[in-house]
Amino acid sequence: MKDNYLWDRSGEPDPELQKLEDILGTLRYEPRPLQIPTDIRLGHRRSLFAPLAMAAAIGLFALILGLGLYFKRTTNAPNLEARQDSQAPQTTNQSQPEVASNNGSSQTAAVKTPPKNQKLDSPRNLVANNRRKPTRKEKSRPELTPQELAEKEQVLVALRLVSAKLNLAQRRTQGTSPLNTIRNQHKIG
Amino acid sequence: MIEAEATAGMLVMTQSFKAHEPLAAETFAEPVEVELVRSVLEGHHERFTRLYQMYAPMVHGVLLARVPRGEVDDLVQDIFLHALRKLHTLRDAAAFGPWIAMIARNRAMDFYRSSRETVEVTEQMAIEKPPTGTATEILALIRRLPEAYRETLVLRFVEGMTGPEIAARTGLTPASVRVNLHRGVKMLRQKMGVMSEAGGAGQ
Repeated sequence: MKDNYLWDRSGEPDPELQKLEDILGTLRYEPRPLQIPTDIRLGHRRSLFAPLAMAAAIGLFALILGLGLYFKRTTNAPNLEARQDSQAPQTTNQSQPEVASNNGSSQTAAVKTPPKNQKLDSPRNLVANNRRKPTRKEKSRPELTPQELAEKEQVLVALRLVSAKLNLAQRRTQGTSPLNTIRNQHKIG
Repeated sequence: MIEAEATAGMLVMTQSFKAHEPLAAETFAEPVEVELVRSVLEGHHERFTRLYQMYAPMVHGVLLARVPRGEVDDLVQDIFLHALRKLHTLRDAAAFGPWIAMIARNRAMDFYRSSRETVEVTEQMAIEKPPTGTATEILALIRRLPEAYRETLVLRFVEGMTGPEIAARTGLTPASVRVNLHRGVKMLRQKMGVMSEAGGAGQ
């Protein structure tokens, strides 16, 4: 019962605990008003909106920049083609500018102002180039004929056989059990 | 038959024990705090005074168990102002009590770190000055108890809070508070007995 008094002041009171309460109760908190300064600055909960908006803006900017660069590159490519083609005679083209025919220097004029319809009809502009470039290693490696490949395979098998036999001989000299000691037997056959 | 009686007895005991436990949770787990915290964050600063009234005794007790009495009142104010500024960092509004209790404990530690002139209180000093039973002397004895018991005893005997109230305000489990109270009172009685004997021998 005395335990209950210590816990929640119910039950039989303990005189010693009551005495403690009376003595220590003099130190109890005396209510004082909380003085909140008028210029107090309260923090606010961080919302995810600002960082997300910033990330989205950066992403959008990068996308636009990438697309711009891509289109710039693809539109520049036919110009080069036009320059190469301008070496060939193009005097028959109807849409050639007047400046070119007047001056007589048709080649330089064609380079500067290539006709627009020629640009659009270029197959390089329409077909996407999605071919994988061969690596340097692949370039340096010569392509083998089927006969050469068969010979290569024979040499490899012979090398494996020799290697296995050498291993076996080594193990016999060392005195280990020769049973199931050949490695890569499935490769030798 | 005997086993059945024993089981029934144990069941009754368990029920009577459990009947005490939810008291803390049901009575003091107030959604009021959640509402108050939310309204303060929405800009109603005046609602913070209600939280101050609810929790100031607890913060006072936590500080009184650690720092000199003369510093406690100012520290209570500082802690509540700090809590008001940092209220947006409180994730669970229902945990306002444990949160501000932790701020008070940290502030008490900072107080001793920042104060340069400190005097180490030793057991010998307590023996040299026998207690006469005044409040400050008993408080000095309580401060020499392990930290876990100190705070619970001050909240119980100085601030007049009951066990369930202490559990609800500080965030401790009722079982922990109960253990702290029992062991703390036992140790305090031993210390007071030793001191009174030493005082009697000295006289």
